[in-house]
Amino acid sequence: MGNIYHDKKLQWLAYAVFFAAIGIVPLFVGDAFLLNQLATYGIYAMLALSISLCWGFGGILNLGQGISFGLGAYGMAMTMQMQTQTDSNPIPPFMLNNSLEHLPWFWEPFSSTAGGLIFAVAVPTFFCAVFGSIMFRARVSGVFFTIMTLAMLSAFYTIILDQQAYTGGANGLTPPASLQIGSFEIDPYSATAYWIVFALLCVATVLAKLLTQSSFGLVTQAIRDDAERVRFLGYNVAGYETAIYTISGMIAAIAGCCWVMLVQYVSPAQLDVSLSLSMVIWAAIGGRNSLLWAMIGAFLIQGGQSYLGDQFLSTWLLLLGGFFIVVVRFLPNGLASLAEAGLGWLSARLPSKSGRAIESVTAEEGA
Amino acid sequence: MSGLLEIQHLSKSFDTVQVINDFSMEVTEGTICCLVGPNGAGKTTTIDLITGRVKPTSGKILFAGNDITGQDEHVTARAGIGRKFQVPAVLRDMTVRQNLEVAYSRQTNPFTNLFTFHPSGLKQKFDEIATLAGLTHRLEEFAGNLSHGETQWLEIGMVLMQEPRLLLMDEPIAGMTEAEIEKTTSIFKDLRKSATLVVVEHDMGFVREIADVVTVMHMGSLLAQGDIAAIEADARVRDVYLGEEEEAA
Ligand SMILES: Nc1ncnc2c1ncn2[C@@H]1O[C@H](COP(=O)(O)OP(=O)(O)O)[C@@H](O)[C@H]1O
Ligand SMILES: [Mg+2]
Repeated sequence: MGNIYHDKKLQWLAYAVFFAAIGIVPLFVGDAFLLNQLATYGIYAMLALSISLCWGFGGILNLGQGISFGLGAYGMAMTMQMQTQTDSNPIPPFMLNNSLEHLPWFWEPFSSTAGGLIFAVAVPTFFCAVFGSIMFRARVSGVFFTIMTLAMLSAFYTIILDQQAYTGGANGLTPPASLQIGSFEIDPYSATAYWIVFALLCVATVLAKLLTQSSFGLVTQAIRDDAERVRFLGYNVAGYETAIYTISGMIAAIAGCCWVMLVQYVSPAQLDVSLSLSMVIWAAIGGRNSLLWAMIGAFLIQGGQSYLGDQFLSTWLLLLGGFFIVVVRFLPNGLASLAEAGLGWLSARLPSKSGRAIESVTAEEGA
Repeated sequence: MSGLLEIQHLSKSFDTVQVINDFSMEVTEGTICCLVGPNGAGKTTTIDLITGRVKPTSGKILFAGNDITGQDEHVTARAGIGRKFQVPAVLRDMTVRQNLEVAYSRQTNPFTNLFTFHPSGLKQKFDEIATLAGLTHRLEEFAGNLSHGETQWLEIGMVLMQEPRLLLMDEPIAGMTEAEIEKTTSIFKDLRKSATLVVVEHDMGFVREIADVVTVMHMGSLLAQGDIAAIEADARVRDVYLGEEEEAA
């Protein structure tokens, strides 16, 4: 009740501290390779954020977030690929190798950078809006929806893998140069690239946090609790579900764009089930009901993977599996539950207004 | 005054079982109509049909002159029909405050609600209803932790937050104490000034207190309709329903 974990102002303060901490990283990291790797963590955070929004606040478990991420990534890779094509050489080399003579029609919009960037985000967003609205209107929910997302992910994976001439197949796309915005080239190993990801993550987080505090957020949480009941209050549940699923997909699509900006590479691996599962695990371990903790979950797991994973190899997977089971069994809201309990304990001992509130409640209970 | 709610020759069958059978009734604006009948008579199903939770096999439902037959739940709710469930249905993982706030559904558009942080008029309505439901000291409690009586009150409060023109109350006093029933009686009588009520109830004492009109259902059909005195004197009603109640008592 008086737990400062639930204090809205302090929550914003926690976010400010979090972003200040990750914002100053480039000032201390001189190694360009390391900085690039740290920037990819911002992308994992964006993905964890999108899962937390959809699953934690909307109650919709999406195991196919790789669709949005992957389509966004392919869109960006296509844009960057087309930036390197010229009038005399208008067709990407891998297409020529597959004896295509004309640029396929769906590659055309990516010939312009602005068009390409817009399409890279708009296509996956539009897919989510259509797929979501078909499913949610038919009242497909819970585990059935989750299975449908998984099936869709596999379908996309197969198509992209299969259509080598148009997508690069298993090789994926490897744009030969970094992203060019106007006359400015974004070096993926620079602080600029890091700050672009950072700024997008920051904006996405603030908007997502505002969303959860709006009337929209209240309704989606009510739907998570009991969708059937919410209909009788006058809310079109399918509309809300489609909206939060689509917003979440859009964040993942932006993450996909950033990914290719940083690594200059995309392949069907970005649509592999294991990546989409990882996103859910990050959010589950960090705490899916907290945007901030879901992001911290992504940092911890991916950080552990990079550093411990290199040293212990297969043992790392066992560790991760064991850790996951412990968290799911004992901490239903992940590490965020620990923070909540810890701050609750602290609040009870603070000589403040909230502290007194707790005392009076205990007194009431005792009476 | 014409009927706010008109049900015309309504029928519903689940597979081969005919649950509602050519049922008609009319509810006059500003009155309390009690819907009674033995268990399994089809009272809850009738409410399901009005609110759109189940779609009728045939027949017509008019609300304020508009045909609402077979409309979805959120459409009937927006039209002004509020419902309290037989098994109290509140949002158990949310606080009492959040339950009441989400029930204040003036604005239902998801895009508008993305930009709404303080719905206009909420505060005033909230204070009024929280006080009426006697829940002001429980606002931060999770609804799942409320006692049965408090849960009933919370759900009544939620329906009132909607400010519906027609309230459908499915067994609202089940599990309430004498004092709580008395309070409900006076609140319902008060509500009649601004709304119309259909109350499903078994407790004939309560029905006698509040009903302007009593409608008796039996096996999915209308058995009798009239004021309480006429119903209690009706031989057929005594046969199938009231007799049963007296035996049970
Ligand atoms: N979804 C359903 N499928 C099959 N039968 C149902 C369904 N819902 C209700 N019934 C049947 O319809 C009859 C009327 O039920 P109900 O409306 O709940 O009665 P009441 O509320 O008057 O006690 C009962 O016999 C019940 O078993
Ligand atoms: Mg019933």
